[in-house]
Amino acid sequence: MNPLHSNSAFVRSLTRTLATLPAYQTGAALADAPPAFTEVGVRYSHYSEDDIDASSVIFGATSRYDIDITQLWIEAPVGASWSVALDVQNDYQTGASPWFVGTDQNGQPGVIMSGASIQDNRVEVGVATRYFWADGNAGLNVSHSDEDDYEALSMAFDASWNTAGNTRTWTTSVSNSRDKVNPTQGVIPVFVTNEALDTQSGYFGVSQILSRTTIVRVGLNYTYSDGYLSDPYKLNDQRPQSHERIALSTGYRHFLIDANASVHFDYRYYADSWGVDSHTVELGWAQHFERTTLTPYFRYYSQREADFFQVVADLNEPHFADDYRLSSYGAMTLGARWAINLGDWTFEIEGERYWSDANWGLYDGDPAPALVDFWRGTIAIMWRFD
Amino acid sequence: MKNALCTVGIVAPLLLQTGCVQMESVEAWDRGYLAEDTMQWETDARSARLKGHVYTSKEASTGGSGAAGGGCGCN
Repeated sequence: MNPLHSNSAFVRSLTRTLATLPAYQTGAALADAPPAFTEVGVRYSHYSEDDIDASSVIFGATSRYDIDITQLWIEAPVGASWSVALDVQNDYQTGASPWFVGTDQNGQPGVIMSGASIQDNRVEVGVATRYFWADGNAGLNVSHSDEDDYEALSMAFDASWNTAGNTRTWTTSVSNSRDKVNPTQGVIPVFVTNEALDTQSGYFGVSQILSRTTIVRVGLNYTYSDGYLSDPYKLNDQRPQSHERIALSTGYRHFLIDANASVHFDYRYYADSWGVDSHTVELGWAQHFERTTLTPYFRYYSQREADFFQVVADLNEPHFADDYRLSSYGAMTLGARWAINLGDWTFEIEGERYWSDANWGLYDGDPAPALVDFWRGTIAIMWRFD
Repeated sequence: MKNALCTVGIVAPLLLQTGCVQMESVEAWDRGYLAEDTMQWETDARSARLKGHVYTSKEASTGGSGAAGGGCGCN
């Protein structure tokens, strides 16, 4: 770990671990046969946050995070009923993030930033295997993530099976993650050592073919975390030791034959034991052309603030946080993905822009001064062979 | 709210199971459109995981559509 440690690494790892849990994998039923080809792929993404508004900063740099993400993978059939996959990912981030929120001489809240010379690197390796039978499939996934201040080991099992003439697919998954937190001292003081976090998650859902061009789904996630859930790299952050989360997700896909395009609609309702609840809607249009597919999409998100969030944290409360990600706000995303198929090769280009604003939300709450806007760009190459 | 969510999560599959949702019988040979890449819940699972993880890192909500896998952890 670079001594100028990122104060984002912990939460980054925390959320990564949660996101790794397969209970969140609510994808369509896999074809109940191993992939016909071996696939090798590489994907590079760059994530860049806009500078924070100088008028919101009391002290420190206005620049925020840039992250370079490289993904490599190979996935192959094994015999008639199995597949295996190996995924390796490296994240390299630089920049600064909010350390805490204070007040200026006029009593207005402002951000004290961590410093602008943060560097951090994370490597994650995942191995997955899947067994296929006539009416379903089941998979096991193990992954390990490591960086200087955070280590996570997660394991997940999922299964899908088809009924009703293979028009209905039931899916379930369970997972567990055990994480170790060892924050490092850097340009900002840290008062935490050797903490742990244990997370279990479960998912149950069903997808149904409604017609030759329409399919829908609904699913329910439940996740429980116990352990250290605060952010040791934020000065004023003391969260509860447990966290229950539940998410109801729905999806709709419809193929328009005349337009040679697919319409996508997804909605999620989320609520948790910290008082946060949110609505997420995503709309997409996948237009087929000869050898290529262009998919523009729009996403809207709105969340209610956590019970213990305050713009300027009150340290006399049993739990407190001034993290803007726990505030009430709304966000919009515009993006597009372009896939080009050339025989055994597939090329992908994707870009999106994310804006957040306290006034765009559905819920009341005091605006946090550090809401983020960002760009993300991705390119990928995949090769399939026998 | 959790009770309501659980109710919806349980009732919706039951509606499908009991035939309360309008459905056509679609033979296996007639599922060409449904088999298109763009008709999948995640056209590219790894790309969807990365995208979902970016949101997970910036927002208080997790779970649901598309968020999965070892993402970038953009924070």
